[in-house]
Amino acid sequence: MAIPNFLCKNNRVLLKELTKTDFKLRYQGSVLGYFWALLRPLMMFAILYIVFAKLLRFGSDIPHYPVYLLVGTTLWSFFTECTNQGIQAIIQRGELIRKICFPKYIVVVSATLTAVINLLINLVVVIIFALINGVTPSPMWLIVPALILELYMLALGISFLLGAVNVKYRDITSIWDVLVQALFYAVPIIYPITMIAESSPTAAKVILLNPISQIVQDIRYCLITDQTITTWSYVGEERFFWKFIPIAIVIIILIWGSWYFRKKSKKFAEEI
Amino acid sequence: MKEDMPTVISVKNLHKSFKLPTERAGGLKQAIFNRLKGIKGYKEQKVLNGINFDIKKNEFVGIVGRNGSGKSTLLKTLAKIYFPEKGSVEIDGTLIPFIELGVGFNPDLSGRENVYLNGALLGFSNKEMDAMYDEIVDFAELRPFMDQKLKNFSSGMQVRLAFSIAIRAKGDILLLDEVLAVGDAEFQKKCTDYFAAIKGNQTVILVTHDMGNVRNFCTRAILIEEGKVKLDSTPNKVADAYEKLWN
Repeated sequence: MAIPNFLCKNNRVLLKELTKTDFKLRYQGSVLGYFWALLRPLMMFAILYIVFAKLLRFGSDIPHYPVYLLVGTTLWSFFTECTNQGIQAIIQRGELIRKICFPKYIVVVSATLTAVINLLINLVVVIIFALINGVTPSPMWLIVPALILELYMLALGISFLLGAVNVKYRDITSIWDVLVQALFYAVPIIYPITMIAESSPTAAKVILLNPISQIVQDIRYCLITDQTITTWSYVGEERFFWKFIPIAIVIIILIWGSWYFRKKSKKFAEEI
Repeated sequence: MKEDMPTVISVKNLHKSFKLPTERAGGLKQAIFNRLKGIKGYKEQKVLNGINFDIKKNEFVGIVGRNGSGKSTLLKTLAKIYFPEKGSVEIDGTLIPFIELGVGFNPDLSGRENVYLNGALLGFSNKEMDAMYDEIVDFAELRPFMDQKLKNFSSGMQVRLAFSIAIRAKGDILLLDEVLAVGDAEFQKKCTDYFAAIKGNQTVILVTHDMGNVRNFCTRAILIEEGKVKLDSTPNKVADAYEKLWN
């Protein structure tokens, strides 16, 4: 039901119009405009690079560590932007939902698509940065889009699930803010996973069961160096199925989120 | 002649009630608190109490009633914004709802962009909007302003644009909620002329408090009182009954 619905022409037109509007209005009134889509994550990267790579000397044993870090921060920015926009979407478009009947998921998808566009722009910077840094292109790069899709599926699932709850309990916005902060340290963005693996292999395995860790490490593996520790290579030596836990989490969250959103969306107009 | 026309809207035994929060129940803390104490945290408010009517093609139906009688809830249920709690609403054809004018209008977009966005929200493709665009702009008499941002339009101009989209959008059934008195005297004349022209050629449902409009445009009217149909008759009889509500 949801899939033919998605392909319906009217819904596609609406999705396009809403995404276009979101993107057009995002940086309106700022002098640098769309440039901020590039500048913000780059500045965040610069800060983290100075603090962690230069002052704390993280990752000195990893080849192309700056690219390694930039890949992590770029994907992390995408994840937080995507979920923040997605969770807020229904409330921000409350005016529309109370006045007109249309499939509610379009609002969430259009809000997250803006983050996808920003990610694509940022990936161009990552690629340029990688090439300057001496990373050699390889056929493995072609796997990256599939991994990004996995990350988007996770972010979308979370947006549907928490966005639906957020309509009634606005506390979700604040709770998610805190959770994201905690999650940032639970995935190997700023610290290399090797640092954890040296002192506690079990802790490293637990970290790698998180889908975000799995995706970030896999993308680093494909893009930068096959020396990267990945979920596939590090977890599940005794029990093979452990390797599939991250992807299973993503699929479960997406299906659960869509189902719950669909169930609750009938009442959005009354509850907002 | 009217009997030959097919039924386009069929409302059967429609019920709707809302849960109105009694205490501030908008937070997680309050929700948990209420559950622990066994408080429901809301009060059921019956809004629609078994509404029945059929509307035939090309009827111009006025829906009248006091504030809070359930008119707007009825309209929103027809527009599928609210789901019926009991009973059913069947609609044959495309329904263009105008619960409010200019839904989704954004002050930072140009007039033209707003027309296309509004059209997309109503379910029209860009191609269909291309075909309607000139007519909409001409009716609103705003052609020189269409590339300016909407925030630079006067409020009267914004309403004119929104209203023009409403009546120029090509749907089988038009749903209007108190949107008639817009624009200056000249524009109002244009609107009344337009309504007089489509009377009998287009299915329209109009919610209004203006009995002059009911008498002039409608072919039939329905008086709603406490969530029920109190009178379903000719516009004159319903307008008289409505005016008697306060005597």
